[in-house]
Amino acid sequence: MNSVDRSAKPYWNPYLSGFGLGLVLLASFVIMGRGLGASGAFTTAIATAVHRVAPAHAENNAFYAEYLGDGSRSPLKDWLVFEVLGVFVGGFISGVLANRLKLTVEKGPRIGTPWRLVFAFIGGALMGIGAKIALGCTSGQALTGGSLLNVGSWAFMLSVFGGAYALAYFFRKQWI
Amino acid sequence: MNAPFYKFGLFGDEASFILAFAIGIGFGFFLERAGFGSGRKLAAQFYLRDLSVLKVMFTAIITAMTGVYLLSRFGMMDLSLVYLVPTFLVPQVVGGLLLGVGFVVGGYCPGTSCVSAVTGRIDGMVYLVGMIAGLLGFAEVYPYVQSYAQMTPMGQITLAKLFNLPYGLLVFAVVLMALGAFMAAEWAEKKVGGKEPDPEGSLIARPWHVTPVRILAMGLLAAGFVALFAGDPYRGSHVTMDTRDLAIRAGKGADSVQARQVADWIIQGRNDFRLIDLRGGTDFAAYHIPTAQNVPLASLSPDFAAHNETIILYSDDGTEAAKAWFLLDAQGFKSVYLLDGGLRAWQDAVLFPKKSAETDTAAFERQVQVARFFGGTPQADGAAGPTATAVPLPKLALPAQPAGPDANSSKPQSKKKKEGC
Repeated sequence: MNSVDRSAKPYWNPYLSGFGLGLVLLASFVIMGRGLGASGAFTTAIATAVHRVAPAHAENNAFYAEYLGDGSRSPLKDWLVFEVLGVFVGGFISGVLANRLKLTVEKGPRIGTPWRLVFAFIGGALMGIGAKIALGCTSGQALTGGSLLNVGSWAFMLSVFGGAYALAYFFRKQWI
Repeated sequence: MNAPFYKFGLFGDEASFILAFAIGIGFGFFLERAGFGSGRKLAAQFYLRDLSVLKVMFTAIITAMTGVYLLSRFGMMDLSLVYLVPTFLVPQVVGGLLLGVGFVVGGYCPGTSCVSAVTGRIDGMVYLVGMIAGLLGFAEVYPYVQSYAQMTPMGQITLAKLFNLPYGLLVFAVVLMALGAFMAAEWAEKKVGGKEPDPEGSLIARPWHVTPVRILAMGLLAAGFVALFAGDPYRGSHVTMDTRDLAIRAGKGADSVQARQVADWIIQGRNDFRLIDLRGGTDFAAYHIPTAQNVPLASLSPDFAAHNETIILYSDDGTEAAKAWFLLDAQGFKSVYLLDGGLRAWQDAVLFPKKSAETDTAAFERQVQVARFFGGTPQADGAAGPTATAVPLPKLALPAQPAGPDANSSKPQSKKKKEGC
């Protein structure tokens, strides 16, 4: 039994992982006529939760109302919600198979864990807001729209890289 | 093969959720395989130490792009039915910049943070909590900024249409650009990160062995090269319809309504039917039949209306409408009708009627009134005047048009949930 190697396996080659990801995206186009997504599922979940707690507030808010549907069925019965559940499961399966399941914090050597977590929170919040303004995130806009030559998606993609590279210098201690 | 399967009614909503879950598993699996559960690996992209983000993202994009192109061009898939997120240029640039900043600050994007959290990264979990907080906060502000979120609308538009270039040429250009960027990325990794590339997984490292990675790159290049010469995937897609079946079924008189009939209904103020304009947002904004609602063909999905509603479809000449009719019929809609002859018939029969020898004067007088009601101009008897198409279409401010604030909006007014991310 002690011959079993428990150390994390190396990541797959980026081109081959990208090819796999591209085939999944292509399958989504062929099967569903739509691409992948991520942030939209969280908005749906939040809209549902707010609606549960304060129905009037959610219905009067244009932001939530858009994600609540017409009330004929639960807003959680939504394509993206199921897709994102799958993302969690798929990520978990791959992590287990490669011995990469580990309770840890991803950071460079020059930053403490508390600050890293503060930045993670702020980054998440910015990302949530940005994804709403841009009508999608890296999955829904960059990957999906990018491969359909969507004008807005390419403008979005260039902006993402632009924004990240512009500020990377100021956050270098967090990562390198 | 008639793809996209869902839009052709091959399976229903319940089955689509199972497929969503399966597709999601594939998505999450490959993200984790690539190492995108690690914020540190992702962020290394922005310090040119490890450009996996670029490599994975653009390999995925050119794989899906060439795949969609080839399937559509060679008649297995109808690209006009694949949902394209409408472009709002300024919000998408602003949102993109925010996302970029969020990426380098937080270390993840929404999709990768899911993978990160589920493989035990505490920062990934905190990131998710932050994203939820951001969304909750933004929801409260949204009513005040909503109008900005819809600035600079350009409709559903591809780069090919914007630059008026052949779609296939752009496909080839994107493939070339991506492969060039990959080689530049490997060079940068070596220069900046001091990373000696592993010959097995590299495009440029010696020795020049044939490796799976290089076969993949050559395959994608070949697919892009085919695209350069093969033409427009949108046009190729039109043959995917079983045209004979479509013609037989849509051609039955019972399934179409005459333009004059619809005109009378609008004048009577009847609201027991929905008139659907299937053209793009720009065309719709330029002119549409009063009371019509804009649902471009690609946005048509089973939940856009109740199955028992009376729906009348129209497009320019009727081809798109026939397609939409076929799709809705397959999805179990009970009473869907075509506007016979499409918008062209509406122009000829309602807006610019001509008096011919067979029409008696009283009937023509009535047609003239209808035409004036809709802002059109009746054509004089036998005059060699301008043809209907040369006459400018009436302004949109028509008497029959409900004076709602959205009456002139080019935005689809359907209540359906967002399809995008």
